[in-house]
Amino acid sequence: MNRFYILPIAAIVGIVFVIRTVIAGSVPPPVAAPVVEPAQPPYPIFVAGSGIIESISENISIASPLPGVIKSVYVKAGDHVATDQPLFSLDDRDVIAEIQVRQAQVEKAQAALEDAKTQLGIYKNVSDTRAITKGELLKRESNLAVASAGVTEAQALLGAAKTTLDRMTVRAPIDGDVLQSRARVGEFAPAQVLTSPLMVVGNVTPLAVRVDIDENDAWRVQPGTRATAILRGNSAVSFPLTFVKFEPYVIPKRSLTGESFERVDTRVLQVVFSFDKGALPIYVGQLVDVFIETSAALK
Amino acid sequence: MGVYVIALKMLIGNRGKFYAMVFGVALTSLIITQQSSIFLGLMSRTVGFIFDTPQPDLWVMDPKVQFVDDVKPLQDTKLFQVRGVEGVEWAVPLYKGALRARLPNGTFQTCNVIGLDDATLVAGPPTMIDGSLADLRRADGVIVDEAGANGKLAKPGATPTSPRVPLRVGDVLELNDNRAVVVGIARATRTFQSQPVIYTTYSRAMRFAPRERKLLSFILAKVRSGYSSRDVALQINRQTGLAAYTAPQFKGLTIRYFMRNTGIPINFGMAVGLGFLVGVAIVGQTFFSFIVDNMRYLGILKAMGANNRLLFHMILLQTVLVGIVGSGLGMGIAALTSILAKNSELAFYLPWQVPVVTVLATSLITLITTVASLRKVFSLEPGIVFRG
Repeated sequence: MNRFYILPIAAIVGIVFVIRTVIAGSVPPPVAAPVVEPAQPPYPIFVAGSGIIESISENISIASPLPGVIKSVYVKAGDHVATDQPLFSLDDRDVIAEIQVRQAQVEKAQAALEDAKTQLGIYKNVSDTRAITKGELLKRESNLAVASAGVTEAQALLGAAKTTLDRMTVRAPIDGDVLQSRARVGEFAPAQVLTSPLMVVGNVTPLAVRVDIDENDAWRVQPGTRATAILRGNSAVSFPLTFVKFEPYVIPKRSLTGESFERVDTRVLQVVFSFDKGALPIYVGQLVDVFIETSAALK
Repeated sequence: MGVYVIALKMLIGNRGKFYAMVFGVALTSLIITQQSSIFLGLMSRTVGFIFDTPQPDLWVMDPKVQFVDDVKPLQDTKLFQVRGVEGVEWAVPLYKGALRARLPNGTFQTCNVIGLDDATLVAGPPTMIDGSLADLRRADGVIVDEAGANGKLAKPGATPTSPRVPLRVGDVLELNDNRAVVVGIARATRTFQSQPVIYTTYSRAMRFAPRERKLLSFILAKVRSGYSSRDVALQINRQTGLAAYTAPQFKGLTIRYFMRNTGIPINFGMAVGLGFLVGVAIVGQTFFSFIVDNMRYLGILKAMGANNRLLFHMILLQTVLVGIVGSGLGMGIAALTSILAKNSELAFYLPWQVPVVTVLATSLITLITTVASLRKVFSLEPGIVFRG
């Protein structure tokens, strides 16, 4: 083979390498498909916000009227409760003991009343008016009045102790579901505002969505407009919302950094919508993306 | 036809000069191709992240952002404001930041952390090598890029002398004092600073990142069909005061920043220019002396009645042949080095424009050489042959 061809052949091979590299370099990288399609708005012009699912009655944090150790819990999270149904009760041994004391005091007062009555009867039945003085009779009469008041007092004290006993059983304020229960037998229930409540009760039919709207967008939302919520994690699950109300007070949205000092990020208008849960897999406390329709004039 | 065979024989017959000329052109085209490809490779790495993230139509950010790594965080509610702009199909948050990873041997490594929208995981890495994107839903999960897992984030070997063990699925990292479990390995475009890239969810990135009031780096938005990206970008700017760029605009912004603020373009520009000068010098001189050597034969041809036009065609054939063979060799060597160094840190990007420019440059060299020699040939007296 002629040596002349070596260089041209090498050059052709080189050009092949170049073409290969150019082609390999011009292939765009594959596009990673999102795991879930992002939520897409169902309206042409809209305001977006993030919403949190809550019960229509708003979530009621059940408080204990008296401090004490929890004796028994009658319901668990998820149970349906009727108004005045007992939820949990506190240790009541001291109150029961007090009731017994008060009971005894009532009996004692009643005995004293009987005694005063008898005394007065004896004095009244004396026919010879010289045998007793008028003053002695009056004293017996006032003794009777004191004993009668003593009975009333003892009965009132007994009633107070019974009321205390009744207050040691915490009851459901409304018809609804137990959404959360942190009340456990043996734990202490303080009678004050707690950051994590003992029990949360709410009416979940229908459910409500509380939507945060940035104050800059707040003017674009009109009362009574249509809105749609889209579930996070599955944009196929969307449901229409019915306007309920504006919270009239615009509150600061907090940027939750986890620090002990939280700073105000921006202020948000809260709008409450309601919807029928039906068979949708939605839970109270869940976050949803909400799109609120608005008109072209407000864009 | 015969004269062209003579021209070829003349060229190849003088083997030393032929090789020298081919070598000169090859060297020039090698330098031009390689240096411009490395320059383009470096530049494309600066925008590698935008390149890897083709899902959104618009990148929404603070108007003062200068390039892709220059993150100026936004308030969280800006996301919802952008979502509320007409023509936006969807908008998701994206965190991008540099966080410190602590390795088992105690060294620290700064990593590019990308936080994807929790619900959708939009903007994930282009190619998964191990695991899947959905695995990010697992507790403390992160996805590490292949280069980082095999290189900077690799675990030390069992003994000080044994090789380092690549990071695998199931390994645990320490990110800013937080536990992170590797759930996947992905292939991503290497970054300009060659830092490992770690993908995780937005909320987890919030946990890894140092406490700041604002942490939302970018909002990625998709434009509804029927709307133009440009109009929606303008509308986003009007309504929210934020800047919205399409991917090419954002790439342009980033590359312009690097062109203006780094010494990279001038360094590579000078290398390319020197390569060109070297080519002109070697090839021009050698060819000129080659013509001088062959002056006698050209004189004979002229005496036999060959006109200047024919001689010009002969010389052109010789220079073009040298040009083609030389540039083919040079560009081939450049391409071969990039193929061999495929999985290294070498930044090499060869778009079709680079070979075209190289060929144009070598053509220019050949042209200069041809024109320089022609003057001598045209003024050649046929009688020179007989003067001995």
